[in-house]
Amino acid sequence: MDAPGTEPNNNGHARRYVQYAIVAFAIILGVLFVFLVREYLILRRAQLITDRESSITAALQHKGPLTAADASVIRPWMTFDYVNRLFGLPPDYLKTQLMITNTRYPQLSIGGYANSQHVSQTIFVGQVVSAVQNYLTVQAQ
Amino acid sequence: MDPLLGPLLSFVLVYKYVALFAIVYSGAIIVPWPANLMLLAVGAFASQGYFSFWFSLTVAVVANTLGDLTDYAITRRWGEFVIRKLHLDKEKFFLNLKEELRTDAAITVFVTRFAGSLSSITNFLAGLVEVPFWTFFWCDLAGNVIEPFVALSLGYLVGDYWSSFSTFFSLLAATAAVSILLFISARMYRRMVQKYEHPPVR
Repeated sequence: MDAPGTEPNNNGHARRYVQYAIVAFAIILGVLFVFLVREYLILRRAQLITDRESSITAALQHKGPLTAADASVIRPWMTFDYVNRLFGLPPDYLKTQLMITNTRYPQLSIGGYANSQHVSQTIFVGQVVSAVQNYLTVQAQ
Repeated sequence: MDPLLGPLLSFVLVYKYVALFAIVYSGAIIVPWPANLMLLAVGAFASQGYFSFWFSLTVAVVANTLGDLTDYAITRRWGEFVIRKLHLDKEKFFLNLKEELRTDAAITVFVTRFAGSLSSITNFLAGLVEVPFWTFFWCDLAGNVIEPFVALSLGYLVGDYWSSFSTFFSLLAATAAVSILLFISARMYRRMVQKYEHPPVR
């Protein structure tokens, strides 16, 4: 059995810990909120939110392949299959243009392939972007 | 962009739903993957027609729930042994915490589904304090349907711009997690005050 006064004392300690936790969480929340508002303002300034607001309805109604102007969205983590789908390229176009011999093509990431060929990812992504832009420009003419 | 996210996305693009299942399942157990950001990206892939939105949602819900149940089962099965080994069963603070969690089990399990890694910790604790299985399961499932749905839908809506929004969503998720911790602490504090001012009659 607890000594007289022990239980309220324990409760008092526990309450104080929870009080400290509440204060700490409130401070962290305040800091996070400041960063959140800051990030929101950055997005607003970059007009991404405004652009998105106006294009959401159109995007939901019509989804087509991206155009040559969007080729800069290509990143090393993307697979060739995904890029083909995104830009509506023929399945073997990039394979031929970039002379890819790996049998796992197109289920292969661009960055992974660049590493396996000991080529800089940035340079190889640039080559993919150029190949995509060439194809889409020719198609558009 | 999170440095872990690139390799994860390549993995998801190559192995699709199997990879999605594996990442969400291991993330639900304890691995600190940026799972919500990945779901945001998968939502964007769905908007481009590369993934099915509804199938991705189903895979995410099933994987998340199974991962949470794995955590729960581990501590439910072996938690008591660990508690005895560490002599926690004699610690008054631990016993109080156990009682608090059991009292507030349903709401705690549900709200922590939106709190990232805190969800795994709650799963382990829920097994440890022996929250009834069906209470845990239903609260977990309800939260697990809402959370990936929100992440996938946001990704679907922002589409190709999802990576520009990733920092904003990470901050939003962190704010939600801290708000949940604050909410749980406040509820705990209120109960403690009530118990202190109106102790149970013996």
